[in-house]
Amino acid sequence: MNESTAECNSGSRRHFLASGAMNVSGVALAWLLAQNRSLAEVKKPDLQQRVHDTTPKVPPGEPKARAMISLWMQGGPSHHDLFDPKPEMAKHDGKEFPGEIKYDNAAQSSSKVFHSPWKFQPHGQSGIELSELIPHTASIADDICLIRSMHTGVNNHGQSIRALQSGRTVEGRPSLGSWLTYGLGSESDSLPAFMSLIDPGQLPVLGVENWSNGWLPSIYQGTVVRPTEPRILDLTPPAHLKGNAQRRALEYLEQLNANHLAAYPGSLDLQARIASYQLAARMQTSATEALDLSQESKKTQEMYGLHEKATADYGSRCLIARRLIERGVRFVQVYTANQLWDSHGSIITRLPAACQKVDRPSAALVKDLKQRGLLDTTVVHWGGEMGRLPVVQNDAGKAKIGRDHNTYGFSMWLAGGGFKAGHVHGKTDEWGHKAVEDVVNHYDYHATLLHLFGLDHEKLVFNRSNRDQTLTDGQPGQVVDGILA
Amino acid sequence: MLRTTWPILVVLFGTVLLRAESAAPPKFETDVRAILKTHCFQCHGEEPEVQGNLDLRLVRFMHRGGDSGTAVVPGKPEESILYQRLRDGEMPPDESKQISRDELQVIRGWILAGAKTLRPEPESLGAEAHITEEERTHWSLQPIQRPTIPDVINRNLVANPVDAFLLKELRKHDLEFSPTAPPQKLFRRLSLDLIGLPPKRDSLNRFVQTLASDGSDEKAWSDTVDTMLELPQYGERWARHWLDVAGYADSEGYTDADSERPDAWRYRDYVINAFNMDMPFDQFITEQLAGDEMITSPLDNLSAIDAKRLAATGFLRMAPDGTGGAVADKLQARHDTMADTIRIVASSFLGLTVGCAQCHDHRYDPISQADYYRLRAIFQPAFDPEQWRVPSKRRVSLYTDQDRERAAEIEVDAKKVDAQRAAEQKQFIAATFEKQLKELPESVHELARAAHATEAGKRTPEQKQLLKKHPNLNVTSSSLYLYDRKAADELKKLAAKASEIRATKPKEEFIRAITEKPGRVPATHLLFRGDPGQPRQELKPGGLSVVSLTSKLPEIPVDNGELPTSGRRLAFAKRLTDPQHPLTARVIVNRVWRQHFGRGLVETPGDFGIQGMRPSHPELLDWLSAELIESGWSLKHLHRLILKSRAWRQAVSTDATRQRVDPDNTLFGSARLRRLDAEVVRDCILDISGRLNTRASGPPVPVMADRVGRFVIGKENLNAGRPGSVIDLKGAQYRRSVYIQMRRSRPLAVLEAFDQPPMSPNCDKRNSSTASTQSLLMMNSELLLTYSRHFAERLSQLDQDPSARIDAAWQTVYCRYPTESERTATLKFIDEQQSVFEQQAAYRASDGKPPARSAELEALAVMCQMLMGSNEFLYVD
Repeated sequence: MNESTAECNSGSRRHFLASGAMNVSGVALAWLLAQNRSLAEVKKPDLQQRVHDTTPKVPPGEPKARAMISLWMQGGPSHHDLFDPKPEMAKHDGKEFPGEIKYDNAAQSSSKVFHSPWKFQPHGQSGIELSELIPHTASIADDICLIRSMHTGVNNHGQSIRALQSGRTVEGRPSLGSWLTYGLGSESDSLPAFMSLIDPGQLPVLGVENWSNGWLPSIYQGTVVRPTEPRILDLTPPAHLKGNAQRRALEYLEQLNANHLAAYPGSLDLQARIASYQLAARMQTSATEALDLSQESKKTQEMYGLHEKATADYGSRCLIARRLIERGVRFVQVYTANQLWDSHGSIITRLPAACQKVDRPSAALVKDLKQRGLLDTTVVHWGGEMGRLPVVQNDAGKAKIGRDHNTYGFSMWLAGGGFKAGHVHGKTDEWGHKAVEDVVNHYDYHATLLHLFGLDHEKLVFNRSNRDQTLTDGQPGQVVDGILA
Repeated sequence: MLRTTWPILVVLFGTVLLRAESAAPPKFETDVRAILKTHCFQCHGEEPEVQGNLDLRLVRFMHRGGDSGTAVVPGKPEESILYQRLRDGEMPPDESKQISRDELQVIRGWILAGAKTLRPEPESLGAEAHITEEERTHWSLQPIQRPTIPDVINRNLVANPVDAFLLKELRKHDLEFSPTAPPQKLFRRLSLDLIGLPPKRDSLNRFVQTLASDGSDEKAWSDTVDTMLELPQYGERWARHWLDVAGYADSEGYTDADSERPDAWRYRDYVINAFNMDMPFDQFITEQLAGDEMITSPLDNLSAIDAKRLAATGFLRMAPDGTGGAVADKLQARHDTMADTIRIVASSFLGLTVGCAQCHDHRYDPISQADYYRLRAIFQPAFDPEQWRVPSKRRVSLYTDQDRERAAEIEVDAKKVDAQRAAEQKQFIAATFEKQLKELPESVHELARAAHATEAGKRTPEQKQLLKKHPNLNVTSSSLYLYDRKAADELKKLAAKASEIRATKPKEEFIRAITEKPGRVPATHLLFRGDPGQPRQELKPGGLSVVSLTSKLPEIPVDNGELPTSGRRLAFAKRLTDPQHPLTARVIVNRVWRQHFGRGLVETPGDFGIQGMRPSHPELLDWLSAELIESGWSLKHLHRLILKSRAWRQAVSTDATRQRVDPDNTLFGSARLRRLDAEVVRDCILDISGRLNTRASGPPVPVMADRVGRFVIGKENLNAGRPGSVIDLKGAQYRRSVYIQMRRSRPLAVLEAFDQPPMSPNCDKRNSSTASTQSLLMMNSELLLTYSRHFAERLSQLDQDPSARIDAAWQTVYCRYPTESERTATLKFIDEQQSVFEQQAAYRASDGKPPARSAELEALAVMCQMLMGSNEFLYVD
């Protein structure tokens, strides 16, 4: 069960200490600190008013990546049918599953083994085996690092999304994009550092929480780009204000705000709003230009599938993501619709339809970044919050069957930004149920990602109420050497 | 090992400075148990099948051990299985649920110190979760006791006891209150806080003068607060806070269709009215939970007062309810609606999260799964998942017997016209048929007449053949107009006449309410892992066990024989509003405080449990709670206490010492700079521009998508899926935001941009974001342009003098006069803008016609827009 106290919105929670983040009582904490200073360095309160901004920061380590595009497959794509072939299971298809299974939906559960009805083949020089449902992804097999041993272990959407998007299963924490922009700033001064490209359907599960800044300052919040034109509302000044008139008006506004700020020096909220006007003014030209896909050649547009109904939407958003990254945006996430991949039933028809939407655009993004020399420094991530079970759900005839949640072993892929290309990492058991070899937990994935950006997951801290907070929050995250180039 | 004594300064729960001179080793009851409860109890104790036969709920059980032997070896963590398994990540088996390093260290430290308990443990545990001493003594479950008011040396600083409690804590840190804010700021703050609108210029000036001339500040202030509390706009502003808690929405949610709730607004009006009349809060709670159990008039002939009580139960109908439409799993949808309702009830009145106890014992709080289903049993007869009623079937008609009688009379008249029409139609058809028949040979007439007189499906092949051959013989009611236009028109007139007569019936309106089916009391079962398909033991209705343990409260009957309903919700309301209930008063007091100060005495308004934050001023919270109860649950009494305190009247401090000692201002030694709420931003813009329509109550003003897909106020008028012509709302578009439709899938753009929360299912605490999309809205949106122009027109009508206009604008938006340099800079700015616009064709006369808008006025409008986009307007200090 997903419990949260009346979740309201994303936004600044600077003064809010998420209660769930700390399960250690006060007295125990005092004891802990006394036992081992390195666990949580005792600090004096920060007396200086910090100024938070998004100017570019030099990471302490050697960075391989400087930007990231996350193609977020909400709902949990079936690794059995896309990435993780288990030919041996064919013999058991329809028979009793011999082991134990943890179901999410007990009401529709069955123990009938469900062997993938789709064919797998090795692709590229690397010979990575991929399903016939994703032929375009197959064409970039030599560019991707496929992890077949992902694990979050919390079998429902909300919590597993939180694990992957914000480091822990609890509510109220900053998302990955917020951490990256907090740590590294942005290389663009005219676009938001962190942008979320949402689907025309319903928002993904957890909605705005996906790009929340949690308790980081609000300038690290993701900016939503609308799925249809106009992608950003009110981006164009009214005719009579265009040009000098508005420039002068904003100078006047800034003067008003400066007078006001003088009475409250050090107010982060007031400063953030002043900065947001400056950014908004610059976005009028730069975002308009960045979002204008007509500047792309017909060849590029077709590569992303803009000419076809099934791929036009996701393709446009992938193409926008590339344009944003080119212009210095740090983190872009491209969402699929609410539960698109949540194949509880009718997987036979729904899964191919979902693949058709995203397969071509996803592969095009990687190819396009590569041909522009951007792939080396840009991480592309493709994956959702879970995989599926090896058994049938909703055993009500072939047209209706599906697969239930599985967060004990699932697949996702990464490309570029220092990830090893043409590589498969980790294994699930013979049934594709649990990750058994080279298991990658969400915190390992996060530690590795930050490492590639030149950041140490234990050292990228935000001091909140005199306690240093991190993305991995004390979980035993390890940089996964096996997936580094 | 490092030194064990370590002077350390730890900041806990954001704020409270705690000095722990000596760090004692962790204790089982206070430190260790919570960790094990969260991560281990479900498999090792709570569920019938105990994994590895190891029960971790008591230390004595750990010593006894399970299949692998004893779990703890006192003093030797490395030899203790409990520690080994946790350290090596073998337990919990679910890797993401594994404990953090800090938690592991706590367990290690406890074992190292001997794995002791503070006091002897019970011999065994009952079927339900054992409630420990620590849980029973949790602060929020203790009875509310009126504390003594602290003695404060400088009595001049104390306007009322609220100040005394706050000063006591401030002085512990060598702090005092900040100075009182200047009158203009105070008046603006009060107005925005209480009525959510900016003060009018004349009342502002009057207030400032009173303070200056009279000298008796306290009386002037007190009178001002009292006067403002009586304005009807107070209810509109403060109801909104409660509507967040209740999860108010004008749509059903749950599915993409998000169908409208046409009658939800009666609940909204009920809440506004309740706040305005200062309805005792215990009555407010009772009517919302059990208004239907209090009514004395019959449901089909409601008295006015009973209609209001029923409208109050709309509270229980606010959760998303997808059961009226197409959902994948109908049973699940019903259970989800119930679960969300229970979540809203628990967070709003009890300040507790109970949702997770739907599937297993609460991870942190002493709320067992059985407790959850006892709570649910209170609502079972009303929701009744086995005999569920979809939203349209739950509506209660407001028709009275008189209305029904009148409607029946009118129906009789209408029926007469119907009959006349039917007769004439029959004649017309017959006549037309005969006319057509005449054109055919006599020989077929008989067969044709027989065919015509027979129903289409029953005709013989021969008859069918004939009609097919002569299609013109198919004279029917729907084709008559093709033969005889005049006759058809005549019939149309009669139909219209019947409709007209029917339209004179009293309009039937409905209440969105909860009711029970008299006599039906369905059983409630515990659902294993929350699955409706796995019912277990039956449970009787009851309040939370831990609350019953600490406070003597009325029980909840299975069926109250004296009422037509089960009486369960009424009894529950009685329990909640019992002065002995430890949570109810504290929770609402904290909410009111939080809205006034921008920070709660408890900063987790929806969680007073173990995971919630501790109160910063427990005595003050209790004193105010006692005041609330003894005043007869008057919220206005609470407002007066708070607003008339010195504490509330402080200025926003920038003092460095204060910021160092109390950076989050938990001691309330300063006011807080706060951004206006979404509704206040919009309402203020409307008011400042002179357009605000103050009409109260009634159905919501509709929201629609404009041509770019933004949600704006307007009546949807789609033409083949595209927006058609604009329908005039006749000023309704200028109504206050609380009256604008809250459709979950159509958040009004301006409100959404400023963090109006999506109701899923409710909201305890809003956020305040700063995004460049808000700035773009202030810079470029149609909304801001329009209202800036209205404002400029208003200013230009006030005065011809540019300086006087600026003064008026400043007074209206900021509640102060501009400084000399601001005035000069603004005059210069307007001049420049004007000359820019004069260059544009749109601002010049053409063909002898003056321009639609003068450059002068447009320049003034830009100034207005910048004022409304500025921080001084968007924040209150």
